[in-house]
Amino acid sequence: MISQVFILSSKGDHLIYKDFRGGAGNDIVSIFYEKVTALTGDQPPVVMNHKDIYFVHIRQGGLYWVATTTAGSSPFTITEFLNRLAALVKDYCGSLSEKSVQMNFALIYELLDEIVDYGYIQTTSSDVLKNFIQTEAVTSRPFSLFDLSNVGLFGAETQQSKVAPSSAATRPIQSSREQGGKSEIFVDVIERMTVVIGSNGLLMKADVEGEIRVKCYMPSCSEMRIGLNEEFSIGKSQLRGYGAAVRVDECSFHQAVRLDEFDSHRILRLCPSQGEQTVMQYQLSDDLPSALPFRLFPTIERDNGGRLLMYMKLRCDLPPKSLSQELSSPDQSAELKPQSRAVVWKIARFAGGTQLSALFKLEVPSLSSASMLEVGPVGLSFELPKITATGLQIRFLRLSPIQPGPSQRWVRYVTHSDSYTIRI
Amino acid sequence: MLCTSMTQQVEQMSSVLRNEDLKEMLESNKESLKLEAMKRIVGLIAKGKSASELFPAVVKNVASKNIELKKLVYVYLVRYAEKQQDLALLSISTFQRALKDPNQFIRASALRVLSSIRVPIIVPIMMLAIKEAAADLSPYVRKTSAHAIQKLYSLDPDQKEQLIEVIEKLLKDKSTLVAGSVVMAFEEVCPDRIDLIHKNYRKLCNLLVDVEEWGQVVIISMLTRYARTQFTSPWTENKAFYDSDSEEKKDQTEAKPYIMDPDHRLLLRNTKPLLQSRNTAVVMAVAQLYWHLAPKHEVSIVTKSLVRLLRSHREVQYIVLQNIATMSIQRKGMFEPFIKSFYVRSTDATHIKTLKLEILTNLANEANISTILREFQTYVKSQDKAFAAATIQAIGRCATNISEVTDTCLNGLVLLLSNRDETVVAESIVVIKKLLQTQPTQHGDIIKHMAKLFDNVTVPMARASILWLMGEYCEKVPKIAPDVLRKMAKTFTAEEDIVKLQTVNLAAKLYLTNSKQTKLLTQYILNLGKYDQNYDIRDRTRFIRQLIVPNEKSGALSKYARRILLAPKPAPGLESAFKDRDRYQLGTLSHSLNLKATGYQELPDWPAVAPDQSVRNVEIVEPCPCVCTESGSESEEESSEDSEKTSSDSGKSSSGSEKSSSESESDQKKKKKTKKAPQKKSKPAGDRYTEIPHCLFPQNDSKKPTFRTSGISLFYMSFQVTTSSFGPLKTYELLHHMTGKGLSAKYHFPRQPCLYQPSMVAVQVILTNSSDHALEEIHIGDQSPASLNIHCFNTIERLEPGASVTVSMGIDFSDSTQAANFQLCTKEDQFSVSIQPAVGELLMASTMTEQDFCKEQGKLQGMNEASATITMATANASRQAINKQVLSVANVGEVPSSQNNFSRFAGQTVSSRALVLVSLELSESSGALLTINTEKSVMASMLLQDLKQALAQA
Repeated sequence: MISQVFILSSKGDHLIYKDFRGGAGNDIVSIFYEKVTALTGDQPPVVMNHKDIYFVHIRQGGLYWVATTTAGSSPFTITEFLNRLAALVKDYCGSLSEKSVQMNFALIYELLDEIVDYGYIQTTSSDVLKNFIQTEAVTSRPFSLFDLSNVGLFGAETQQSKVAPSSAATRPIQSSREQGGKSEIFVDVIERMTVVIGSNGLLMKADVEGEIRVKCYMPSCSEMRIGLNEEFSIGKSQLRGYGAAVRVDECSFHQAVRLDEFDSHRILRLCPSQGEQTVMQYQLSDDLPSALPFRLFPTIERDNGGRLLMYMKLRCDLPPKSLSQELSSPDQSAELKPQSRAVVWKIARFAGGTQLSALFKLEVPSLSSASMLEVGPVGLSFELPKITATGLQIRFLRLSPIQPGPSQRWVRYVTHSDSYTIRI
Repeated sequence: MLCTSMTQQVEQMSSVLRNEDLKEMLESNKESLKLEAMKRIVGLIAKGKSASELFPAVVKNVASKNIELKKLVYVYLVRYAEKQQDLALLSISTFQRALKDPNQFIRASALRVLSSIRVPIIVPIMMLAIKEAAADLSPYVRKTSAHAIQKLYSLDPDQKEQLIEVIEKLLKDKSTLVAGSVVMAFEEVCPDRIDLIHKNYRKLCNLLVDVEEWGQVVIISMLTRYARTQFTSPWTENKAFYDSDSEEKKDQTEAKPYIMDPDHRLLLRNTKPLLQSRNTAVVMAVAQLYWHLAPKHEVSIVTKSLVRLLRSHREVQYIVLQNIATMSIQRKGMFEPFIKSFYVRSTDATHIKTLKLEILTNLANEANISTILREFQTYVKSQDKAFAAATIQAIGRCATNISEVTDTCLNGLVLLLSNRDETVVAESIVVIKKLLQTQPTQHGDIIKHMAKLFDNVTVPMARASILWLMGEYCEKVPKIAPDVLRKMAKTFTAEEDIVKLQTVNLAAKLYLTNSKQTKLLTQYILNLGKYDQNYDIRDRTRFIRQLIVPNEKSGALSKYARRILLAPKPAPGLESAFKDRDRYQLGTLSHSLNLKATGYQELPDWPAVAPDQSVRNVEIVEPCPCVCTESGSESEEESSEDSEKTSSDSGKSSSGSEKSSSESESDQKKKKKTKKAPQKKSKPAGDRYTEIPHCLFPQNDSKKPTFRTSGISLFYMSFQVTTSSFGPLKTYELLHHMTGKGLSAKYHFPRQPCLYQPSMVAVQVILTNSSDHALEEIHIGDQSPASLNIHCFNTIERLEPGASVTVSMGIDFSDSTQAANFQLCTKEDQFSVSIQPAVGELLMASTMTEQDFCKEQGKLQGMNEASATITMATANASRQAINKQVLSVANVGEVPSSQNNFSRFAGQTVSSRALVLVSLELSESSGALLTINTEKSVMASMLLQDLKQALAQA
């Protein structure tokens, strides 16, 4: 059971405060903020207590989402609730930020009112909630098709009809009904790689976690069919067809997904509810079907002047056509971070099939041979658009019956590095 | 300061101004203006500012027709009603009217707001409203009334007795929507009235899967507590549990082997599918339920789900890891196969890293220690120094726990002494010190090495540790120790307190062993200590001086100085920080904080003797045979209640109750169907994941049999299902021991209603190990066709040679004789096997009267009839013989017949509950007319064939 819920900005401003059971002091929020800021480390513990009040908090979208409870609830219930709340706010307001929360307090208040009654969680299902929520979301910049026109500037494929800006999917679910039935569906295939490469260059561990996320703006949702690669297989024993099979170890589906066509045709059928949902999650360990996207060849030496020489050769093994990039930085740069004792090498864009190298010379006082052992490991972080590490593709996306009026379907693939480590 | 107060003033002024125009807006005639005003007011509330002076203007709008406006007014009202009680009363009549509204949502929301207005005067009105709503036709309104109970209780605790009555009534409710909410109310108002649960226990267990997720969490935690008070412990071999009791107890349990209460089993079985839930709270609730209630060998099924939670948000990860840490201390084996999941990633936050480290250390054993140590090696290099230090501690713990690797670890730690980072060096020294204590004999070198390092080490704890080591093993380093003491004498005054204390200790020990060299040094240090600012050091100095330096005043004690100071000291144990966390229930706030939270209810211990089991028996609710009800919903319930006495005397307790639950469930489904129009479909459709390869649990909705067949859907009939139909048991071979590498399996159909799901056919499999070694981990692997719905048996951990075990499965054949193919797996092998059901096994016996039989048969004419003239074997002439033959082929029930030459049997298909009627008319000679009426025409012809064959042979 939950006593209060409040949302604070990272600076401690009150954005939302709701007291469900009454009787709490007014200073609760400031007590929490003091406690949270007093803690060191990158992430304070999730559960804290002050006398008889227990705080459970999460951080999402740069905000503190806090619930207090007096007794007897499982911390799981409350963190799960806060995560769901954040997801719902994101669905209803379009995005999670201090600004969007501030502008939509009435909506969020209404949401909270429906979700929690007297501290008891009633429902967090967006299908149920949409019957109750009346307030419309306010967005800072209403989404319009004009946004699409300047996509071509960014070097990506220039045909307007093929690419939508990434901001297209960040709009509130409810505004769709006033926009004259403009219905869109976004499907994201997101994969995160965890890779450890040993000092001898051998792959020690590779792990891919992926998910298919559907964000639906259809006012009245009909059935949707998502076709995956026909050679997609689950587990080790099953192999379908010849050649490069797309294989995952484990796979789990959202409950709304019907799998009657999955076995024969690899088709997921579902009636998506409005808002964002993860339709399928999968995991693949060790046996990656394709080569690793990046290889690093480090050489570390000591020169006569007692300087540490690090020669790095980085190769991108992706097929040449595709593009991998680290957004927002214009060019290559390198920087020494004395605090974390690390060198950061930034590469803005890295074409497939090419190679980059860099030489770093570091003045290190009292460099000994033993301290050479302390160098490393190298961590890579990157984003690969239009690529999935498992090779999972979406063959088609069909809506049935065909929607009246214009409907748009967008598919996006992206692979992130979760933790890509190369030991030296 | 001035600045802020100024701005505050300005803000206040402007807020007063704003409130004036808000008031104007509220009083205008335009809806849009009112709405805008209310939004701004709610905005004020959301920011924690006061808007109470607007109460009169706002409350007028409570009767507004605009729903959006109305809702905002509700929000306001709930917030300020307590402060403006008189004005709030003005709105009450509006709510009372709304409580009678034909729209269930308006009724519900009126009740919700009414009960949220915390004004004591309206307690009687609230009580009345709750009672009425508890009997409402709409489950949504009943659910709201359950929520209102807690609110009223906190407003006026004197109402407790009346409220408990309402709770008792609502607990009987069969709607899944209500179940979660009423248990929440139960937990808040009267958690000690466990007697209210007895009668509803089985129903709650059965409904659990369909309850919405937040309700599941509450119900599971309540049932955990319930089970701990009602059932005996399944952990028979756990002697620790009986420690407090006397010896005879132990004898008692040995004399009486433990048999799990079927209700206990029911709970475990029904919570298992929830491990696939998308909601982490549900998964954890089930995990803790298994941890606290399941027999030890069954707990491990929760492992995989817990590990899956590690992919969730980091806050969730953190709490899950805490719980796994506690579990992994007691049950290493549970998490060992997943050890890779606990490897630290470079992107993890520090507190997650340390928890993973803790778990890795707990899981370390002889087999995996080398891989773990290799992991640790890379962790030590981490830039995150707190984490590197924690890793060194972990290495130390592994070294003490696993004696094989102590030396390796020690060498590794010594290498770290040359690390450039001070924290790493310091931590290593501290850990080495602890390790050396456990086996000091061969480590003179290491101590020398550390003495050399001494000058470069500045961390006090590390310096103190080195000094202590010197003193303790000064005899092993006779040359170096006095030198170290000499250095310390020089810098004594500048050292930290902890280092000074150890210096004094070192001096004393050296004085006793090597007084020739160190006498003067010692006296010098003792003199320095005597005038130290810290009184601890002054005390210590004084004590040491009296102890070691003999003078006329020193008593007998100084004789024992050597024995006191140089006594062999027990090595410190390196223990997990999570060692004593298991005193708290897993997944609770107290467990997370490691302190007793207010309101923490300790999980009761198992009772030594189980309380009476029969309290949970419910009179069997069975719709009386052949009552045709049309879509009236409430009346149907009553009629079924009337009929329950008819069958309550059937003495089959366990199977009977099982049946009744399934019956009532289908009953429930039917109600849902008939009332669909007004009822909000509350299934949390988007909330659970089903996982493919392992679990093909239907979240049993669409497969519920009741309405599949069109012929019966209008006139729902239910016939009593009996288990009595006895036929000779035929056993089929599933796996021959030659092909199964020693594992052989046979199966037969016990012809009982399946426990797992009513649409499944029960199958019993006898597994025998005819090899010469034990087989491990026998379980069911992949199944095909994948849509096939099998309830697997629990994994058999171990089957000794020559032993055999009988397990039961449930298979939903969907009324077809298509074989169920699956893999029977042992730890090493997989064998593909298939179960091909005879058509007769897809039936369930029904009993009905001859009249009903004829009536039903009349409806199933034409296409639905198959008949053949057969020649009977002479041996089958008697009625008994016929019965025997028919029953051996099909699981049908005999219908008492008034005509001598007629035999009639009735059954229904398991999956879709279609009637199957068999009649046999004997003619003069040995010929007979066999007729089968059913709408499953394929089954009819197959059954006909089988029966023909059976009756023709002797």
